[in-house]
Amino acid sequence: MLRSWVARKAKDLPPEGLTDDLPLLEGRYLTSLHIPELILLLEALRGEAIDVERLQAGDFRDLRTIAARFLIGSPDPAAARAAETVPPSPRGASR
Amino acid sequence: MLAGPLARLAADCDRGFTVLADAWQAQPEEHAAMIELADLERVDYLASFPHLATFPICLDPDEVNLKEFTHREPLDAGGAVRLTGTAPVREVLTPAACYHVYLHHQGESLEGPLHVTTRNTCFRREAYYEPLRRQWSFRMRELVCLGTRAEVAAFLATTTYMVDALCRELDLPVTWELATDPFFQPARNPKYLAQRLQPTKREALFGDLAIASTNLHEDHFGAAFDITRDGRPAVSGCVAFGIERWLYAVTRRHGADPAGWPDVTAAARRARPAGADAASHPAEAGGAP
Repeated sequence: MLRSWVARKAKDLPPEGLTDDLPLLEGRYLTSLHIPELILLLEALRGEAIDVERLQAGDFRDLRTIAARFLIGSPDPAAARAAETVPPSPRGASR
Repeated sequence: MLAGPLARLAADCDRGFTVLADAWQAQPEEHAAMIELADLERVDYLASFPHLATFPICLDPDEVNLKEFTHREPLDAGGAVRLTGTAPVREVLTPAACYHVYLHHQGESLEGPLHVTTRNTCFRREAYYEPLRRQWSFRMRELVCLGTRAEVAAFLATTTYMVDALCRELDLPVTWELATDPFFQPARNPKYLAQRLQPTKREALFGDLAIASTNLHEDHFGAAFDITRDGRPAVSGCVAFGIERWLYAVTRRHGADPAGWPDVTAAARRARPAGADAASHPAEAGGAP
């Protein structure tokens, strides 16, 4: 779910595609305009609100970081399934 | 209001900042103290900062309206003007000096990095004011770079290095901290969320007072004002100095007696990378915070 959403929204993906460690904001694949919708998606997947005042630099760095920070360990089974699409290792193995 | 030695110190501070700008051979620009809202709205200014905006307002020039205005007491008991009809408001008083630069260079295709320095009297409505620290009207000197992301990153890193060196020369203790702009309803503003997730603003803090900031805008202004570099929307960045806040810092650190104040212009010359222009000396950026 997370991966397919990012794949739909990202622009000018590199030849290697949407890897787990692709820097989404720093690489400008996603822009500020995508962030509110991404927050809503993550809130829907994990079943609880995200306090934007607790967001930290790097929280949305790449797919792996987003999953680890917001989805893995969530009590919501849907969130866990979404996170499973982004295995924690090896780096860049998942497409 | 500044007068005498404090006014001279303000001029000295501003000359010092232009010495840093000279390291980039920055083009000087002077702009009006107001900007057309139709232009500024290309970056959604009013949605992001409505609480800061100060509008220049005029009476409707219709003679009947002007007569009505002059035929009664112009001020009420509280000192507020008793306006009659007003003309349409199409401008805002300059909220930040660099906005004019992007507007002035709109539509340009840059052959290389563009460095500009400009100063303006800026206006920001605030919940409270403190002389020199937080004013409705204040002077802002800015150094601006438009170019590729690498060019702007080098500009910000090297200029940050120079600002840090200037503070050391002036014996002003500062710490550099990540910051966000004061957005209205920030939790709903994508630009605020982006600044939290991908910090682009750093402030030089003298105590709790930001006396300078460095800002990476990515292609926000380049795209809005159709400025390109290498066939893509130009990236921009700026370094801003609040002149009154530097007066606060210098006088707080060195006392009220002008005899104890440092020569800011000379300190700025010492703060520049040695023996070369900043543009050809990016390695100095290694020391930037």
